[in-house]
Amino acid sequence: MSPRIWRRLRRATQILALLVFLAIFAYTNAQRPERFWGDVFARLDPLLMVSASLAGRVMLGGLALAAAVVVLTFLFGRVWCGWLCPLGSMLEWLGPRRSARKALPEKLRLIKYLLLTAIVTAALLGNQTLLVLDPITILNRTMATAVWPALRYAIVATEELLYQVPALWGPLDAIHGAVVQPLFQDVQPVFGIGVLMAFLFAGLVALNWLATRFWCRYLCPLGGLLGLLSRLSLVRREVSDDCLGCAVCSSQCPTGTINPDDGYRSDPAECIVCYDCMTDCPSEGTGFRWQLPAWRPARQHDYDPSRRQLLGVLGISAAGVALAGVEPITARQPATMIRPPGADMVDFSALCVRCGACVRVCPTQGLQPSLFEGGVQNLLTPKLVPRLGYCSFACNACGQVCPTGAIPLLKLEEKRQAVMGLASINRDRCLPWAYNIPCIVCEEACPVADKAIQLEEVRAVGAAGESILIQRPRVLRELCVGCGICEFQCPMGGEAAIRVYAPTDVSTEGAIL
Amino acid sequence: MESHVRSSELTRRQFVRLAMAAGFGAALTSCAGNGDSAPAAPVRAEPSPVGDNAYLAVARGADPGAITRTALAAIGGIERFVKSGADVIIKPNICVDYRTYEYGATTNPEVVAILVELCLGAGAKRVRVMDKPFGGSPDSAYARSGIGQAVEAAGGTMEVMNGAKFRTEDIPAGQDLAKVKVYQDILSADVLIDVPIAKHHSLARLSLAGKNLFGVISRPSQMHANLGQRTADLVSLVRPTLTVVDAVRTLMAHGPTGGNLDDVRLSNTIIASHDIVAADAYAATLFDLTGDQISYVRAAAEMGLGTLDLESVKVEEISV
Repeated sequence: MSPRIWRRLRRATQILALLVFLAIFAYTNAQRPERFWGDVFARLDPLLMVSASLAGRVMLGGLALAAAVVVLTFLFGRVWCGWLCPLGSMLEWLGPRRSARKALPEKLRLIKYLLLTAIVTAALLGNQTLLVLDPITILNRTMATAVWPALRYAIVATEELLYQVPALWGPLDAIHGAVVQPLFQDVQPVFGIGVLMAFLFAGLVALNWLATRFWCRYLCPLGGLLGLLSRLSLVRREVSDDCLGCAVCSSQCPTGTINPDDGYRSDPAECIVCYDCMTDCPSEGTGFRWQLPAWRPARQHDYDPSRRQLLGVLGISAAGVALAGVEPITARQPATMIRPPGADMVDFSALCVRCGACVRVCPTQGLQPSLFEGGVQNLLTPKLVPRLGYCSFACNACGQVCPTGAIPLLKLEEKRQAVMGLASINRDRCLPWAYNIPCIVCEEACPVADKAIQLEEVRAVGAAGESILIQRPRVLRELCVGCGICEFQCPMGGEAAIRVYAPTDVSTEGAIL
Repeated sequence: MESHVRSSELTRRQFVRLAMAAGFGAALTSCAGNGDSAPAAPVRAEPSPVGDNAYLAVARGADPGAITRTALAAIGGIERFVKSGADVIIKPNICVDYRTYEYGATTNPEVVAILVELCLGAGAKRVRVMDKPFGGSPDSAYARSGIGQAVEAAGGTMEVMNGAKFRTEDIPAGQDLAKVKVYQDILSADVLIDVPIAKHHSLARLSLAGKNLFGVISRPSQMHANLGQRTADLVSLVRPTLTVVDAVRTLMAHGPTGGNLDDVRLSNTIIASHDIVAADAYAATLFDLTGDQISYVRAAAEMGLGTLDLESVKVEEISV
């Protein structure tokens, strides 16, 4: 087989993997949650699965798929990074034509191992905050909160412009019905963190100008994990006596691990097995070979973490988890931190890997990644913001796509009874209460069969001093599940006159109702 | 800066100028064409005169499809309303996406499907069915209500209302509502068939054909402050060609969304008329009310949009 075929084969695999990722992303939504394969990339990610299993104290089904990636890595090295990772591929392609002239200090490679250590330590202690740095969560979150919503916005704005021309209505209707509606549905998603996520992603891309695949080389904790495993891999790169010392491979290597000062040898932990060195070599001076029976673990490098460094990170992350304990959320759920349905049945904070799958499929886009409202320990975990979108009574998609069970898979009938919060009417703002203006929108919209909002008809004094009959809403705590459609539909400007707050604990077990 | 551009190629500056001109042109087109506040809505063709047919027909029976056909036949057949080549929109009530039709929150799928079939049989160019649910997404509401499948099987098309096609319209006859942002196709269709389900509603008392039109405007919650007059104002703008009230399974309490089968009564009735006010007035009697007691029906009658006086018109009641 000609060495050149490897380059084409890898490129094709990368494109295919990225397309599959994007296709799954675009295809899965509330109507098509696809719980058997919608979260396949999250389940392929060993870092994500191991961390969630450790933190959540569960054996996740996804570990099986992640194990396949681990086996692949034991065999061939960081194939995931060079061939499959959709973020890695994007970062490979979105970079400068020529690589940076000045080499960065090799020591930087240490960062990813330290991040990995911190993540695993924190996971053992039940915290997963640093999984915001997992490549799959980064890409999914950026797509869900920035790229996809912005794309929809641009498409709809274009449609609106074109609809000004009546002659175009026929074709526009056809395109909208066949493409735009199935892909983007009828809700324009908005996210408080969208712009921030776009800038962070742009930052990752910009780092490529300092070094190709900067993220993969120095930062990616999943790369760190797979790198560690690759030190034991069975197929590794070797330099033969045919090497001319031309330095083509070392100047082209995307992770810069081929060291001219070390006989053009490389570190299997840093190599992403792109095979460019082998393809470009003018003399068959390098290749990837089976290591058995003379197999030995790869040797240590200066940038590999020392025992002292590992212990240091271990201590720091343990201290970090302890420090998170001083955050107010440890004492009390913040009033507006409403969790997805069923999250209170499990150890949500420990299980959530912040992948954004729930955020992506929420049909009303009411699920929003939090910033610091729930403390650093809950960074980028989903919360329901009813003013932006309610929990749809016909939907249990978030539980279906959650790769770790942080949002449990509830039957629709169970989900409808899962209490997320409790609505409360602000009588100083509510139209009928404060201004004697008829309005029953909250009651009308309430999806509970017996209506968790009741209207009381009372006699009041109208604007002209006349006596009027008016209906005033009241929340029935026993029936309210906190879905938030009342808050969403409330016609008051700005803050709604009916709001959903964290559930009350008056009905906790043992209480006499 | 040195320029090596051949004269036939665009310089960047020329390109920007051209693009700006094009954009300006497009903006101008929008002013001249269908602007954000079009001067007057297109006037829909009136149905053929009643003649010897019933002014209002009421059909009763256990088969929703059969009584729909019977009621239509009694008022002169669908041909009175749908001419060959007509562009038809049917507006059922699909208010939420979490109830199947048994709960009486959404229009009976069989009734809608028969109407689609009749329209296509009369030579309609296309028959679209649409609503804008306030609870849940249209796709899933179309599916769960059963209307989506029934309509497509009958040869109609479900359309998800596209946000880009809502425009602010003046309401010339409006008394409390001068403007409303309304779905353009609803106004421009040759035939609009309003197919509400008759059900309880706590503010309006009953949700009927007038109330069903909340689903064609972008902000229904603006209506509630003066529901009677504003709904009548909306009716004056939209003017459905034909009203078919589905009173097969009537939701007697906890409307408009329902959820208890105990709240649903089998009324097994279809009411059809070109007169939306008369149809609603008759439907009210099924709930032991009169049209006069439903604020928006009374207001629409006062505006001359139809008659409340069911004694003065030919009402045909048929049992199937």
